Amino acid sequence: MLTKKPPVLQSFLSLVFRRASHLARQQYDVIVVGGGHAGTEAAAAAARVGAETLLVTQKTNTIGALSCNPSLGGVGKGHLVKEVDALDGLCGRAGDWAGIHFSILNRSKGPAVWGPRAQLDRQRYREFIQSELLSTPRLTVLEGSVEELLVTEPNPEEPGHHRVTGIRLANGSHPISASSVILTTGTFLSGSLFVGQTTSPGGRIGDAPSSAGLSHTLRERLGLRIGRLRTGTPPRIVKDTVDLSLTNLHPPDSHPTPFSFLNTHTRCKPEEQLPCYLTHTTPGVDRVVRESLHLNCHIQQDTKGPRYCPSIESRVLRFPGRSHQVWLEPEGLNSDLLYPQGLSMTMPPDVQLRLIREIPALHRAEIHTPGYGVQYDFVCPTQLSPALQVKSTQGLFLAGQINGTTGYEEAAAQGLWAGVNAARSALSMPPVALSRTESYIGVLIDDLVSRGVTEPYRMFTSRAEFRTSLRPDNADLRLTLKGFEEVGCVSSLRYQEAVRVRDGLQNALAALQTLTLSTHLWRKKLPDIGMSESKSTILTGMDLLQYNDVSFEMLASVFPECLSPYMEFSQRLNIEAVYRPHCDLQKKEIERIQKEENMTLPQDIDYFSLPVSLSQEVREILDRVRPSTLGAATRLQGMTPAAVVNLLRYVQHTGQRGRRAHRNQPDQK
Amino acid sequence: MLPFTCRGIWRAAVHTLRTSRGTPPCRLLSTCDGVPPGLADAETIFALSSGHGRCGVAVIRVSGPASATALRCMAGLTRSLPPPRAALLRSITDPQAKEVLDRGLVLWFPAPHSFTGEDSVEFHIHGGPAVVTAVLQALGSVPGMRPAEAGEFTRRAFQAGKLGLTEVEGLGDLIHAETEAQRRQALRQMSGELGHLYKDWSHRLKRCLAHVEAFIDFSEDELIEDGVLNQVDRSVCALQAEMERHLKDERRGERLRSGVQVVIAGATNAGKSSLLNTLCQRPAAIVSPIAGTTRDVVETALDIGGFPVLLSDTAGLRDSPDLVEREGSAELGKGQRLVTWVTTGRTWVEQADLTLVVVDCAHLPTDVQQAAAFLQGHLKSVLQTQEQPETALPADRYLLVLNKTDLLPEDQRQKLDRELRQVSGLPPVCLISCHTNEGLQDFLTVLHSNVKTLCGDPLSGAPTLTQARHRAHLQQCVAALAQYQQYRNADLALAAEGVRLALTSLGRITGRVGAEEILDIIFKDFCIGK
Repeated sequence: MLTKKPPVLQSFLSLVFRRASHLARQQYDVIVVGGGHAGTEAAAAAARVGAETLLVTQKTNTIGALSCNPSLGGVGKGHLVKEVDALDGLCGRAGDWAGIHFSILNRSKGPAVWGPRAQLDRQRYREFIQSELLSTPRLTVLEGSVEELLVTEPNPEEPGHHRVTGIRLANGSHPISASSVILTTGTFLSGSLFVGQTTSPGGRIGDAPSSAGLSHTLRERLGLRIGRLRTGTPPRIVKDTVDLSLTNLHPPDSHPTPFSFLNTHTRCKPEEQLPCYLTHTTPGVDRVVRESLHLNCHIQQDTKGPRYCPSIESRVLRFPGRSHQVWLEPEGLNSDLLYPQGLSMTMPPDVQLRLIREIPALHRAEIHTPGYGVQYDFVCPTQLSPALQVKSTQGLFLAGQINGTTGYEEAAAQGLWAGVNAARSALSMPPVALSRTESYIGVLIDDLVSRGVTEPYRMFTSRAEFRTSLRPDNADLRLTLKGFEEVGCVSSLRYQEAVRVRDGLQNALAALQTLTLSTHLWRKKLPDIGMSESKSTILTGMDLLQYNDVSFEMLASVFPECLSPYMEFSQRLNIEAVYRPHCDLQKKEIERIQKEENMTLPQDIDYFSLPVSLSQEVREILDRVRPSTLGAATRLQGMTPAAVVNLLRYVQHTGQRGRRAHRNQPDQK
Repeated sequence: MLPFTCRGIWRAAVHTLRTSRGTPPCRLLSTCDGVPPGLADAETIFALSSGHGRCGVAVIRVSGPASATALRCMAGLTRSLPPPRAALLRSITDPQAKEVLDRGLVLWFPAPHSFTGEDSVEFHIHGGPAVVTAVLQALGSVPGMRPAEAGEFTRRAFQAGKLGLTEVEGLGDLIHAETEAQRRQALRQMSGELGHLYKDWSHRLKRCLAHVEAFIDFSEDELIEDGVLNQVDRSVCALQAEMERHLKDERRGERLRSGVQVVIAGATNAGKSSLLNTLCQRPAAIVSPIAGTTRDVVETALDIGGFPVLLSDTAGLRDSPDLVEREGSAELGKGQRLVTWVTTGRTWVEQADLTLVVVDCAHLPTDVQQAAAFLQGHLKSVLQTQEQPETALPADRYLLVLNKTDLLPEDQRQKLDRELRQVSGLPPVCLISCHTNEGLQDFLTVLHSNVKTLCGDPLSGAPTLTQARHRAHLQQCVAALAQYQQYRNADLALAAEGVRLALTSLGRITGRVGAEEILDIIFKDFCIGK
């Protein structure tokens, strides 16, 4: 998979994309607006599901651009990359292609929280994504700015309900129609850039602002609740001007682990990898921040910024007198820039230079591009269904930062899922949902649509209740099979590989179960392990694998005839043996939640006139959030057990009526 | 993975019923080792369905797949289950200790013909708190069983579609009332010292979890100070120790709620029933001078100095194997309960919080030294069990009551009183005459101080447990913290899972803790970027 990919030249790409724009049809199943992480995954997923898809972006050569940090994955985020890959998305394979520094974070803390991560070569990442989109059947890319989102007049029977019909471009007069439109506008929706005391419209430095028409349609015509968030990016530093001898070298893993389940190795050879460098802030940094506060527009605004990706200004203000870590990360194999992770700032450029020079390793550093802040609109995500469709507008899907999230991986995960559902909706297939009991993507979407956001949302492993079941190592077993059989977004090639792996693991586990020996005999075979059980106890190979100092490799060397065929799964088997008992304990709770999630609440309930006993307070909560399932309703803050039972009754009652009315129609969600 | 098509509640309920019916109940005992997956989802719940407090008959209801198992092992039905929906008189036994708890009616309601639509069992037993508690505890020891939450039976009935629409109308209000009562009760407890204690634990556990989670989610990129985990180790250890100490409170809080069990024991015709009557200040038990009159156990609720006491009069300890006639049960007054006496009064003595050993003064040797030796021997014969003959008797669990002092000459009575107090190795001695009420006031003072110690003074000292439910959740909490210790060095994700489970268990008392709350603590305590 990896080696087949030909390196693609930028000029060639632009040419093909431009040609595509000339050939653009007037009618598509799905239109994706935006070419970032959400947009590219959305377009690719929609096309995989079978929809004729159009991706519209302002500049084709920024498709797949890494606007901020040159890295992918990490703790929690790496889980998302693995899941996107398991559903045949792009970012995992792109990471393997573009990675120049691979490491598994949390290696010492248990496989459930391992965080696969890579530093990326920006150029290579963009190349991969662009060439992948180019070779995707049914997908057309068009350069242009969207002037207007076309929607129907509200349905007279359902006030406030619209249907999307397509888009109109800024330059072209004729509309392009589609059954589904996915907006992945990132920070461009009414975006403003901040450096020092100057403000200019835009979503990313160097790119034109998006049209005001889109924002207007969402707010005024569709009546969506819009909020405002902010984020920022650090200055890029010229590598040659950094005194790297004053930093701590942070080498990559000696054996890079690929993200994708399809790859056995990364494009970058182990010895070609580049290191990162660690340094720290000084009291001088604190001083510069304080002295320049009056020159810093962005920091004075009370818009919500991310608590977990704070600017150096908010770090200094919240935790004064401390030394903060600054990671200097490579931007590419041939790039002469370093990305100072942790130094996101919005003060005037001259002050930025003064600030970074307070750090010993950067005492004579030069800034290539100054840091800046961005403020942008987001649509309160509780207005979305678990399929990421706007509840009040049939066919309109949103993904990425427009939903209040931050991070490439969060955007990619939503993009993929919005793409899947936009395509299914356009092709008259019922929507599909991912449960929080089976995936981090499910946790992400459920958190967004049922709780909403108050600050940019980022994934953490602590958000997943069933963390020990939702591991990076088993994402393929959790999602690839379902992705092929039920969702339709997985290629048969990947599916066959997942089936082969599943069968291999099952056979290996069965073989381990049948290996039964008394403790006494095990001790003879494996003299070096400490077993506390009494002599007569019978233990299986599975039991043995749960010991810290026993590995599958050891067992295979003792029983080569029955275990050696499964050597390729040895690491997964080691993990499975330790976690399986815990996962079995979780199963009961998982099944209870899934049962509640299978009970859907109609989206058009008028909670205020619902003839059941509910307190006014509960009615208000339900009306505001409009949970899609009973499961989501039980997780709402302020819900009482009594209210849940009453809702249950409603579901039951209307379910019966509904079945009688639509007896001959297929089950719909 | 379950398919994501909507099935609606009806089909979900039918699915549950099918799984619970289609499998032989005996398999359900082995839930832990390889049960077919669908079965694990339905937990079996039990609760006292009749009202709390004293009543003639108590009904304990069990619902869920393990109901049949519970019925088999508690009613001694090894071969076949009773015919559906027919009352059967059985001895109810504790499946672990194999001891008989009561004799009562059992009813078997196989699914779907039950209130909840699931396999259900009802135990109709005698209504004394001691019997009810014993049966509930025994049920809790059956694998796969847990106490029901408020309104859970009704909710299950509802989910199974067993309630008609008119019945359903009132259901929301009913559940509301039940949970309201639970909430008010919890509030009452939470505002007290117990509440402070639990909230403090919950707060500390939250911080432990937040710090472990911070270490997991952020330590690779951020400065998470060294020693964060060591601090968690110490906190977890301390919490575990405190909770264990709290659990070992000798059931004082529960006693305060359901009464101190005081048993009157002694040789036949020593005047045990007379003592009971004297304490009740009314004729409560059948009193007669003929040896062996009292063959049943009579339980009476008393208020001694503000503390609830359940006083039981036992038959004389003669180890007679004969069964008893139910003579005289019709004459029992209100507030007393006839409990079938199946084995021996020793069981009662063993389970009692306090035993009053009654001795007839007339049987004492006249020499005081010999009298002390006689009493020690007598205590041994009355109190020590056959299984553990050498167990030392905790002196604070017994009172020696020398009855019929009116039959002794005045000088000898005074001599006994004076000298027996100075003999070591004897529990407190009280000389009384049930006939003349002589010495009764002193006896009541001693009894009061003993009961007070057993209950713990509610106004001072460490808060004690008041509810069996709290005890169960705290025990789970302590067990989960052990998982943290077990995996601390091997797998931090599994260790954190232990703290999370502990917090969930404690959360069933203090309220649920969401992921956001943990993240809030993380961001308050640490400077996190990226």
